[in-house]
Amino acid sequence: MDKNKQLYIKTAIILAILTVLEIGISYLTISRMGQIVLLMTFAITKMMLVAWIYMHVQHETKTLKWIIFIPIPAGILFTIALMYDIPFRWVV
Amino acid sequence: MNQQNTISIPANDPFGKATNGKLGMWLLIIVDGLSFAGLLIAGAALRASSDSWPIAGELLNIPLTAFNTFLLICTSFTMVMALSSIQRGDERGLKTYLLYTLLGGVLFLGIQAWEYYHLIHGGFTISSSMYASTFYVTTCFHGLHVFSGVIYISCILWQAMQGKYSADNWDHVEILGLFWHFVDLVWILVFTIIYLI
Repeated sequence: MDKNKQLYIKTAIILAILTVLEIGISYLTISRMGQIVLLMTFAITKMMLVAWIYMHVQHETKTLKWIIFIPIPAGILFTIALMYDIPFRWVV
Repeated sequence: MNQQNTISIPANDPFGKATNGKLGMWLLIIVDGLSFAGLLIAGAALRASSDSWPIAGELLNIPLTAFNTFLLICTSFTMVMALSSIQRGDERGLKTYLLYTLLGGVLFLGIQAWEYYHLIHGGFTISSSMYASTFYVTTCFHGLHVFSGVIYISCILWQAMQGKYSADNWDHVEILGLFWHFVDLVWILVFTIIYLI
C-alpha cells in the first residue's frame, strides 16, 4: 500500500474515533463549560486534520496558507464583538 | 505587440503551482466559510441571550446524525483517494472512488430528508421556536451544499467516464475535492454546535 493511502486511512480512522469520543463527551455529566471546551477542541482538531491532510494545505505556499487562515481569527473577533454584551444582560 | 503590455510571471510565484481554478475555489471556500460562521454565530448569540434552550439530544436523533457524520468522513476519504488514483494515472480508481463519494453524498441527503420528515411530523417545524429556526436554517444551508456537491461530482464523474482525466490532467478533480472536503469540514462544526453542545 502506498504511503499516501496509509496516511488517508489513518486520518479517516482518527476522525471516526474523535467523532465517537465527541458523542461520549456530550453524554458526560461534567460542567457545561468543560463540555463545550472539550467538544470545540475535538471539532477544531477534526477540521484541521481535514484541511491539512485531505485538502493538502500542508503542501500549499506560505501566501496561500495565510490567505486561508487569516479569516479564522477574524471570525473569532467577530463573534466576541457580537456577543460581548451577553454576560452583562443579567447584571443590569 | 507592445512590450509594455505583456505580463511576465514571476519566478517566485506566491501561489506556487496552484491554478486559477484552484485559487478561485479557495476564495469561494473562504467566503462560504464566513457565511456558515455568520449563521453559527447568529445561532450562538440567540442561544446565549435566550432564557431557555432545548437540549438537542432530547429532540434530535443523535446516533443517526453521528452515522451521517461518519458517512461524510468516509466520502472525504474516497474523494482524496479519487484524486490520488488519477495522479497515478489510475482512471478506473478515479471513477470507482468518485462513484463511492457520489453514493455517500446521496445517502447523506436521504438520511437528512428522513430526519426532517420525522421531525416535521413530530411538530418540530421551522416556525416552532427560535431553536427550530436555527436548526433548520443551518442544516438546510449545509444540505444544499451537499446537494450542489452531488451534482458537481456527477459532472466530473461523467467527464471521467469520457476519459477526460489522466496523470497529466487532474486539476478539475482536485478543485472538486477541495469543495467536497469543505462540505465535510463545515459539517464537523455544524454537528458539534447544533447536535452536541
